Amino acid sequence: MTQTVQTQHQAASAASATAPTIAIRKSCNPDGIGLSHYVLMDKKAAK
Amino acid sequence: MTAALLNRADAGPVLVPVDIGHDIYAALTDPNTAFWALADKTRIAESLASGPLLDAYRAKADGFARELHALRFELKPSGVYLNPTERCNLDCTYCYLPGEQRSGGSHMPAETLLASLGRLRDYFRSVMPEGRKPRAIFHGAEPLMNKAAVFAAIEEFADDFTFGLQTNGTLLDNAAVEFLTARDVSIGLSLDGPFASITDATRRTWGGKSVHDKVLSAMEKLKGYGSWSVIATCTTENLPHLTQMVELFHAQEVPTCMLNTVRCTLPGARGVKPADGDMAKAFFAAMERTHELYHESGRKLVVANFANILIGILAPTARRLMCDISPCGGGRAFFALAADGGLYPCSEFIGLPRFKSGNVLDEGGVEAALASAAFQTVTTRDVDTFSPCGDCAIRHFCGSPCPAEAHEMNGGMEKTGAFCEFYREQVNYALRLIADGKADDYLWDGWDEDTETVFDLAM
Repeated sequence: MTQTVQTQHQAASAASATAPTIAIRKSCNPDGIGLSHYVLMDKKAAK
Repeated sequence: MTAALLNRADAGPVLVPVDIGHDIYAALTDPNTAFWALADKTRIAESLASGPLLDAYRAKADGFARELHALRFELKPSGVYLNPTERCNLDCTYCYLPGEQRSGGSHMPAETLLASLGRLRDYFRSVMPEGRKPRAIFHGAEPLMNKAAVFAAIEEFADDFTFGLQTNGTLLDNAAVEFLTARDVSIGLSLDGPFASITDATRRTWGGKSVHDKVLSAMEKLKGYGSWSVIATCTTENLPHLTQMVELFHAQEVPTCMLNTVRCTLPGARGVKPADGDMAKAFFAAMERTHELYHESGRKLVVANFANILIGILAPTARRLMCDISPCGGGRAFFALAADGGLYPCSEFIGLPRFKSGNVLDEGGVEAALASAAFQTVTTRDVDTFSPCGDCAIRHFCGSPCPAEAHEMNGGMEKTGAFCEFYREQVNYALRLIADGKADDYLWDGWDEDTETVFDLAM
């Protein structure tokens, strides 16, 4: 994702003095999220 | 959707400029939807007035508002913190549990723990989609002080919960590691220093003995396991050594760590609270060191609490931790079971009796607790409704954590948490990384595999 942004940035910078606008949002089903800072549980527990 | 939200939608989206300290970019955010864009600082007026950014955002704003509202107000619990004992073999300076509990408290009997998990299983089955397991995390004081009950519970309910264990690591012998790793239990350790003299400043036994080497030994045992992490609690005592901390964690092949600000819920913690500016300076130096280590070795050390801020900006619904959102996850995405069977919105409240609501084995059980006034004091804490958060452009990237410390340290639920300015700096830092195309370097590989891109100005 960010690699794409970087490429656009570089290309546009070469063509113009104005930096390209960056605006990205991703979405997913939020079910299953939800712990506090004190514990992190990996999404995929695996040995 | 609330009336207030509808009224805001009627007024149309408004973008607010935010100086993020970048040479080229400033941020434009709609605080009501957690939308953001990064625009050339010299063209801010144009970006705010009209053009493709505003047009594209206006087409999506209602959907973003609905998404954020659902995340903030419509989740059902999917996790529980289990405190199988009040006791701990350590006396850490900043613990959120009262000392008299930790030194002389009781264990939850194994039969009570098993009965409680049965009730919890039934509750989660009633609110979660079929085929998905709730998360159950054994948590402080020190759960392995009551190891027999904990292991019996993991064995008995292996098919019903995904288990985790947060431990100080001192009782994690080879047999315990073998038992836990064979069952894919997620394991979290705690270590506060890169060497013993720093760890010992805040984490030691009741008799004052060092446990630093024992934790290092536990880390050695977990090398190569897929699901473990280490938490360092950042205080005045270890702040000058955070960069060395991440070097140690990286050398020990820790997959994920957290550099958490000390929670200032109880007075003992406030004595080692760093100033926001000092915290930011040390934290960002440590973050930059993790980036260097990644480029030197090809192996990431993800700092999960910061990664969560980044993900909260890039994909609000993909958060993995629920402190940095308002209302927080306490009492709505998860709750806590104390060793006496009492239910609390979060473990952070277990030292505060007024936030206890019933017993898991009572007739009303979890449902009654969730609906109680004690829980709703926490679940209705909404940054939109109090100052200064209500006017803050980044309030839904931050969430003004934590309600327990806001209540105890700052005098009420409608107060900010302990590290307002540090959170602002973290958001600015995250946005600068996005501007520089570096965000992925600070996130888990494949973090966005389950997400869909719903806005990309370049699309």
